[in-house]
Amino acid sequence: MISLLQVLILGLLLGGVYALMASGLTLLFGVMRIVNLAHAALILVAAYITLLLFDRFGLDPILSALVTMPVMFGLGVGLYLLLFPRIEGSHRYVEMTVLLTFGVALIVEGLLAFIFTGIFRQARPGYVMDAFRFPIGDSQLFVPTGQLYAMAVSLTLLAGLWVFLQLTRTGRAIRATTQNRAAAQIVGINVRRISALAFGVGLALAGASGSLVSFIFPFFPSKHWQWIALMLALIVLGGMGSIKGAVLGALILAVAAAFVSDTFGATWSPIAFYLALFLILLVRPQGFFGAKMRL
Amino acid sequence: MSDLPIVENPVEAETVPEEPQPASGRTARRVAVIVILTLVLLFPLIARSVFPSYNYVMQLGIVLLMWIAMSSSWNIIGGFAGYISLGHAVFYAIGGYVSGMILIHWGLSPFLTAPLAGLAAVAFGVVAGLITLRTRGPAFIISTIALLFLTLLFLDNWEFVGGTDGVNLPLASFPVEWLKAPFYYAMALGAIGSVYLSHRVAHSKFGLGLRAISQDETKAEVAGINTRAYKVTAFALSAFFIGSVGAIWGYTLTYLRPVAFLAIAIAARMVLMAIIGGRGTVAGPVVGAVLIFAVDEFAVRQFGETSLNIVVVGVLLLVVLLFFPLGVVGSLRNSGRLPAFLDWD
Repeated sequence: MISLLQVLILGLLLGGVYALMASGLTLLFGVMRIVNLAHAALILVAAYITLLLFDRFGLDPILSALVTMPVMFGLGVGLYLLLFPRIEGSHRYVEMTVLLTFGVALIVEGLLAFIFTGIFRQARPGYVMDAFRFPIGDSQLFVPTGQLYAMAVSLTLLAGLWVFLQLTRTGRAIRATTQNRAAAQIVGINVRRISALAFGVGLALAGASGSLVSFIFPFFPSKHWQWIALMLALIVLGGMGSIKGAVLGALILAVAAAFVSDTFGATWSPIAFYLALFLILLVRPQGFFGAKMRL
Repeated sequence: MSDLPIVENPVEAETVPEEPQPASGRTARRVAVIVILTLVLLFPLIARSVFPSYNYVMQLGIVLLMWIAMSSSWNIIGGFAGYISLGHAVFYAIGGYVSGMILIHWGLSPFLTAPLAGLAAVAFGVVAGLITLRTRGPAFIISTIALLFLTLLFLDNWEFVGGTDGVNLPLASFPVEWLKAPFYYAMALGAIGSVYLSHRVAHSKFGLGLRAISQDETKAEVAGINTRAYKVTAFALSAFFIGSVGAIWGYTLTYLRPVAFLAIAIAARMVLMAIIGGRGTVAGPVVGAVLIFAVDEFAVRQFGETSLNIVVVGVLLLVVLLFFPLGVVGSLRNSGRLPAFLDWD
């Protein structure tokens, strides 16, 4: 019983971070119909920046989100303006975005591998090895401190995103663009500006996740393929474009993966994501919260 | 699957009436094909008399032919039908492992079992296609990525095939000076076969159906095309030569290891070659394979084997997608400047 609770806690903690990682991805799809295959590669960029700041200046990885978020926001706006206005309205637009961002992912991965080599890295602030322990009976529950902090930060940021999208004017414009691009344009929203902004916000979320991930998982330049596969699985589960769905999908799948890992060994844990992805695509391609995906 | 008489064997399918072509163009094409085939067949002899580092040059030939086979095969589903698969490395791995394990357990040479490996890949393609092709567009691409990682997970954890460490294969026993030749000719067979298959598909009713699907699937369905069957068939057909060259490649490597076959970079390369050359054309994937191969070789010569190579590949992909989305062959054809010898459709 205790061990089940333990697995559940570890799963939920990771799920919180996955939710933040995937929130940007699902936002980009929702607003601009961009499937950003480079999302995880850009998360890695932020993770490497965080690692550098930590190793050189001793800046705490969580605090360095204050650096990575604006940096990635700028990068996102630039990247959007560079790549996407040109393919607007092209035949099979969504697939074009997949291929374009695939190219970006290759470039990012190659540059990271060139600069940082393929070695496994991880930021190791003091709290990484710590854990809160709660004795229950003769056993104890174990909550890793780093992951708890990461979960807290990620939930805070997600709450901030929610407030931004629900309560600010820009947020409303973004949501309007998500719901109906043409109609948004008709009521006077500068759709391209909003798209560039939303791309920036999506990548700022990637920046924050990179800072958190830098001390949770060991990483290396080609690690992002595994992450993007997981993230795609969970946003498909939640319904592509839905942030609520992404959060729910992340929590469900992370817990499922934790149980798989507990039962069959850690190497098998990603299977929960891939199988869930196939099942969802077969049974309910629109996910829990998403509108049916259109071409 | 009994309702697919045409689809089962596209080679016998009714051919699409060809557009009238100037006779000179047709001759040029015929001459080009004969010259290229002769060069491919005689290459080992030429290389032997010209290059001192003969085995190295032969290895380059093997690799190039392998990529031609892979990108041409990918083009059947990714180009003609417009279903972009980022998971085709799965078939490559299945080919390599099927032939490799047969070699280890029964001692049968992969040169004999490569077609069998291809068929195994086709069988897997049918099953995987029936699942993944229920989705369209981006969802399909995502499901093929998942397919790749799922397969990788199984191979990594399957002790019978050596898990992550893989297994070593017995060496081929050929005289040293001709060691590379059998591999070369096997790959040549794969490359020629896949280009021929792609040509036959392009000229069949089946190919026409695939193009209709790529243009507008709903309309294709309304027009009476059994789109699901067409797509699954295209997916499975595209697996055959990829599986076969995978079998030969495993034998050249002399080991099987999941990451040697199932890297997303391998899947990416087929896609890139087909797109850069021109998706949905017969010559495109070949041109793309030659181009990317040349760029790779150049980059390796200039900068050594660095990770910057994939940066170059990524930049090329972006440039082509943004400025020439039809690829080399497609763009040239659109502007009416495609030389007749490259017009293989």
